[in-house]
Amino acid sequence: MILRKYGLQAWAGVFALTLGAAAFAQTEAVLVKRAAQLRDAPGEASRSVVNLPLQTAVTRLGERQGPWIKVRTADGTQGWVHLFDITSANTASTGNAGAGALRSITSFFNKGSAQANASTLPTSTVGIRGLGVEDLANSQPNMAAVAQADATRVDENQARQFANAASLSSRAVNPLALPVAPAKAYAPGTPAGGGNSQFQGGG
Amino acid sequence: MTIKKLLLALAVLTCMTPVLAQNQDTANALNLFQSLMRGQTAPAAAPPPTSPGAGLANSLLGSLTGGVQTAKPGAGDLVQLISQSLEQIDEAKEIQIGRQLAAMLLGSKPLYPDMAMQRYVNQLGRWISLQSPRPNLPWTFAVLDDPGFNAFATPGGYVFVTKGLLDRVKDESELAGILAHEITHVTAKHHLIAMNKAARTGLLTQVMSSQLKNNLGGMVSSQLLTLGRNIYTKGLDQDDELDADRTGVALATRAGFDPYGLVAVLQQLRTASPDDTFFALSLSTHPPAQLRLDQLELAMGTQLDAYSGQPAVTVPQRIASLAALSRRRTAQAPAQQAPAKKKN
Repeated sequence: MILRKYGLQAWAGVFALTLGAAAFAQTEAVLVKRAAQLRDAPGEASRSVVNLPLQTAVTRLGERQGPWIKVRTADGTQGWVHLFDITSANTASTGNAGAGALRSITSFFNKGSAQANASTLPTSTVGIRGLGVEDLANSQPNMAAVAQADATRVDENQARQFANAASLSSRAVNPLALPVAPAKAYAPGTPAGGGNSQFQGGG
Repeated sequence: MTIKKLLLALAVLTCMTPVLAQNQDTANALNLFQSLMRGQTAPAAAPPPTSPGAGLANSLLGSLTGGVQTAKPGAGDLVQLISQSLEQIDEAKEIQIGRQLAAMLLGSKPLYPDMAMQRYVNQLGRWISLQSPRPNLPWTFAVLDDPGFNAFATPGGYVFVTKGLLDRVKDESELAGILAHEITHVTAKHHLIAMNKAARTGLLTQVMSSQLKNNLGGMVSSQLLTLGRNIYTKGLDQDDELDADRTGVALATRAGFDPYGLVAVLQQLRTASPDDTFFALSLSTHPPAQLRLDQLELAMGTQLDAYSGQPAVTVPQRIASLAALSRRRTAQAPAQQAPAKKKN
């Protein structure tokens, strides 16, 4: 019975991977971090399906529309929540946000050396592949490749043609203000993030 | 401490080696090597011979800047400049420095050999850069042939993304968010300032103050390389990254993209296990994704929500539609010739 179940799951997995690898890979356990509504469509104005109290565990599905992501509740109901209203279940379970998380990641990369502070982010590079420290240390400058890259530049007109073809147009958007200590409401529309005290100095 | 110095000396010697071979100046370098081993800076004796290499570098760099300056700085002088005063680095010099650092990054990973993809990131990136405070830099975007998930920028307008990153972004708005983040590093001169800081305070000062710059006139200054490697493996200061996130989100939104692209990428990074080697360098050179998400949430709130709602377009979809468009254009353009060609 158990074997059969696993077999089914494996097949389902293969099936899902074939159909839509991205959507399948995106499934993630998340927690509601501020009381919210599960909505039947993206948007604040959409109909509320059910209340999602603080700490509700939901499964994040692959779809996103702007800030709205599709989730599934424990009883199988699907709907949409604002992505700022959820947090990773893993992050929540370790119980450290901000500076705490920083330290845990830092120490992960410096498995051997115990102390490392925030300003000196890891230089220890165990297991790093890709464009890693070793790559950079051994690289010899390649000016010919730079010249090749230079040749792929596009000019302003070509960029505007692209935007036109992609139906992109520029919009007036104010710069985002630097968040100060979260206790003080800095700007209208900025949620007062409770307990976020890792940034006393205002970044 | 002694080990540190030894390592530094070795690192310096290693990156000097090819240039040395070129200049046949091994004795001098050994001298310097020994003085570094003793923890001293090289004596500022021995009048600097202007090597043919230095002349080559000068002329190349001069041609790059259009030969505007009367006294063109060689690579060594660029480094000296970095260690002294940021104000003295004008845009032409900033571009020279960025070009050399771009050569360093391209020396570690080649360009991805797909011209359609290279062209696409240039179109996308250039469009975003037009909404930035520095729209007239010679913006150059490139895809590196690497399966990892990473993006880099160098001063003067070079922006690199890995092929692995392009494969993993879910849609164009995510890529736009990443490019806008990197563009902000350039417009805010984050790397230039970081190198300046490192050169002034770090262990590299002893290399700076040596006469090395006068003798090694290779195309790329080895000191600049040392400094660059240091910055690009260590990563920028956390505040610079958070600034690039915040400013980048507004920039991508200004260019017409869904403001939540970068947020979506960061959520993906947060979910990625630190064991995932594809994400390893991103995670090690950037503040943790959760911290960046928290800060973006504080800065954004819901004030940009009204700018979202565009239909999501994946990168392969966009490249395909651009290709179809250019096929249509080429089919239309030589309309008169087309029948002639198909005659028999």
